[in-house]
Amino acid sequence: MEKPQYHAIGKKSIRKDGVAKVTGQEIYTTDIVLPRMLHARVLRSSFPHASIKSIDTREAEKLGALCITSKDVPDLKYAERIVTIPSKTFKDRQVLTNTPRHVGEAIAAVAAETEELAEQAIGLIRVEYEKLQAVFDPFEAMKEGTPLLHHTILFGQEEIQVMNNIAASREIVEGDIKKGFNEAEIILEETFETGRVYHAQMEPKSVVCQPEADGGITVWTTTQTIHNVRQLLGEIFRIPLSKVNVKKIALGGSFGSSIQMNSVVPIGVALALKARRPVKLILTREEDMHDHCKYPSWIRLKLGVQKDGKLTAGHMRVVVDIGAHNTQAYPLLGCMAGWWVSLYKLPHLKFEGQAVYTNKVPACAMQGFGNPQVTFAVESMIDMVAEMLEMDPIDLRLKNYVGLGETFWGQGPTVKSIIRSCGVEEMLRKGAELVGWKEKFNSEKTGGIIRRGIGVARGFHTSGAGAPMAGEVIDYSGSIVKINEDGSVDFLTALMDLGGGTLDALAKIVAEEMKVPLDKVGISPADTRSTVYDVCTHATRGIYCGGGALHKVTGQAKAKLLEFASKILQVPPQALKIEVDEEAGQGMVYVEGVPGKRISVGEVAKTAQINNWGTIAAVDSLRQVSCPPCFMAYFIEVEVNTETGVIKPTRALAYADVGQVVNPDLARGQLFGGLYRGLGYALLEDTQYDEESGELTSGGWMTDFKMLTANDLPEMDNIEVHFTDTYEPTGPFGAKGIGEAALNPVAAALANAVYNAIGVRFRKIPITPEDVLGALRGEKKRNG
Amino acid sequence: MKKQITLTVNGVKRELFVSPNELLLNVLRDQLGLTGAKYGCGIGECGSCTVLLDGEPSLACLTLAIAVDGSEVTTIEGLQSRDGKLHPLQDSFLEHGAVQCGFCTPGMILTGKVLLDENPRPTEEEIRAYIRGNLCRCTGYTQIVQAIQDASVKGKA
Ligand code: FES
Ligand code: FES
Repeated sequence: MEKPQYHAIGKKSIRKDGVAKVTGQEIYTTDIVLPRMLHARVLRSSFPHASIKSIDTREAEKLGALCITSKDVPDLKYAERIVTIPSKTFKDRQVLTNTPRHVGEAIAAVAAETEELAEQAIGLIRVEYEKLQAVFDPFEAMKEGTPLLHHTILFGQEEIQVMNNIAASREIVEGDIKKGFNEAEIILEETFETGRVYHAQMEPKSVVCQPEADGGITVWTTTQTIHNVRQLLGEIFRIPLSKVNVKKIALGGSFGSSIQMNSVVPIGVALALKARRPVKLILTREEDMHDHCKYPSWIRLKLGVQKDGKLTAGHMRVVVDIGAHNTQAYPLLGCMAGWWVSLYKLPHLKFEGQAVYTNKVPACAMQGFGNPQVTFAVESMIDMVAEMLEMDPIDLRLKNYVGLGETFWGQGPTVKSIIRSCGVEEMLRKGAELVGWKEKFNSEKTGGIIRRGIGVARGFHTSGAGAPMAGEVIDYSGSIVKINEDGSVDFLTALMDLGGGTLDALAKIVAEEMKVPLDKVGISPADTRSTVYDVCTHATRGIYCGGGALHKVTGQAKAKLLEFASKILQVPPQALKIEVDEEAGQGMVYVEGVPGKRISVGEVAKTAQINNWGTIAAVDSLRQVSCPPCFMAYFIEVEVNTETGVIKPTRALAYADVGQVVNPDLARGQLFGGLYRGLGYALLEDTQYDEESGELTSGGWMTDFKMLTANDLPEMDNIEVHFTDTYEPTGPFGAKGIGEAALNPVAAALANAVYNAIGVRFRKIPITPEDVLGALRGEKKRNG
Repeated sequence: MKKQITLTVNGVKRELFVSPNELLLNVLRDQLGLTGAKYGCGIGECGSCTVLLDGEPSLACLTLAIAVDGSEVTTIEGLQSRDGKLHPLQDSFLEHGAVQCGFCTPGMILTGKVLLDENPRPTEEEIRAYIRGNLCRCTGYTQIVQAIQDASVKGKA
């Protein structure tokens, strides 16, 4: 297909919030200051599991601080994340609890004139705890007789008992695995584990709440979804939604940490409502690390394969240690099954997953929602199978991958759709060629202290979570588009930009569809009052779903524009064309082949105003029904120092299928960022617990949590980024997502490279230098 | 007891009253409304609060305001020229897509500026070593390193 010529899509541009960000003018939640604003601090449990016998705030109040405890907040259980339909949502959270279930859970809060005073007041609150037995290991937690974290929780509106600390479980079967494994000539079974990573977004979770004179509340907060925060606040505090306004504001990174309503939000609101004054609550970094982490995983994977490399059956068992609260574990398990079965064709399969409560920091989505975990297991195992078959791992992948025209269900068994664009073959073949795969992979790994290796892994993420059937997860977006009287265009969307440039992509979609110059498209400030619903910036859905909805609405505004232009030019609307005139800084409506019949978008809008025809505007919503996979492959080269155990990634080639690229340099940025966080996931990042005290051994300090720095990454010339030549027919101008895909296969590619270098297969990440040295000493080599 | 101090902030002399335990970061943000220096950790781990003190990159979250009485402070808000023209490093960050969420950006640009002032032709290794105390969770640093190098004499050559 001949690619259309675009003036905005695929063109490099300076991001619209760029100047504000490089000059320090961008305002984040932490920067908001309001008249008469109080500062809040939170008192947190020092025990991993306890029941609060008494709590005395009198001394704190004497300082002039306003105090709240569980008695002062609405007595109800809620779920922080509400993208699942209400009847399938598990609720086990409270605004403040008198049964803390992890170190750092909020039990009381204060607001005072200064932060210092608030901090002092916190120190004066006296709490009498009764310590309860804590459990830190999910397998221990599931044992008969282990004390429960939650006895009952809500499932929808219904109260249900929790058995053996299992928060959610899922079993999914297709075909008959017994038959499938019988047909296999080789069967391999392995266990993989992944860590409990902290998001480490640079802006700590924060909220500023302003109580309004009408009994309502205005909220600025770190969030990926202003509408879901609004709805939850309405539910918890029983305020009509028309009086709850959540403002959109720049977010200092997220990676999933603000995918749910942050725990600070209802605490801030409760304080503000009681104080009848604005309240600001910023988490310290230590508190932030005690708030959420990535889902860790234990995955047992069994694969059956024939000698020709065809997979016959698979059985995956998953245990996820979700920590103290169920953020969205049921859909997580469905997605983990989905990520697995959508990578490679398995005629017979069975998935069994369990999400288990423990007395640790609650786990939630973090770039990938179970996908990096599953991809690490599957892509490690594919390499192991290839070695047993003496096949090139790329050939084995190409033989079995789920591709064009096939059904996939990345987002779980209720979200099935057909793949309509696929760059897998291109990325694996061309990528292999570009890195010199065959030669490097097969080269003899000689002795010496430094050993070099290369690894490959592939993966994908869905662009959104919508399919033809409604399913369990809500997924749609909406927008408002309006043409101004000078021919510039405003658009309003509740969709958040987490930093990746989603809103710049959306501006390009408007510019392209309306044929106006990109600098004439304005991204309007927005809040829940002025926008229609958008579910959330998550699931790599921004461009495809948010952009898809905006594309549709822009088309509607354009139809109205052409209707007015047809009145002015005296030709039927279907005879009109529209093109961009960059010099005039305008879109131009014209009649092909008829000179003189030409008018700018601005003149049409102005004429409509003068003649009182009305504003050219449209509002609508759209559910995308396909959530196409954006595919990704990484080739990573490493040097392993056999004396220190240090693994150094030296080179990486990222190959992405994002459909039509909308923001070239920002899309590259997503890949560089995904690679960086993926390498950290593979090599370093984990949160560990002291099993006595239940405290994080890092104490909540980033230095002790350990992240890769600018020093630890391949040099810039050694990171290559490529995009496949693909076009997604259901996406706006052929585009699909990228965000999470950019990270999913990194850890597996790295582990495969390490195996290639030293012949040791790591089934657990992070792979630390101690692990490397231990394995080399133990000579546990070659699939051993 | 509050004490009076004098700071020259972005070229303007300011008389300020501060408590002995008041951090420079809070004075800049709360008293002067200069919110470009960010609070990311408060304990010297992340570099989001970086400002220049007499030309040296410093962590405002670890600096007592009273201890720097008489100093010149440059924050990100003071980097543009008087007519509003962006500093070449600011332009370069935009040009290279080195800005994502933007939370680390002010600190990163100020650190990069001092590096280029001290060493107009840094190698990639020198750039990476110099900015390693400034954490960025979004970008993976590649485009930041590119932006700094491209703004250097070396990048222009
Ligand atoms: S806020 Fe100063 S180093 Fe993090
Ligand atoms: S751009 Fe987000 S932390 Fe650097």
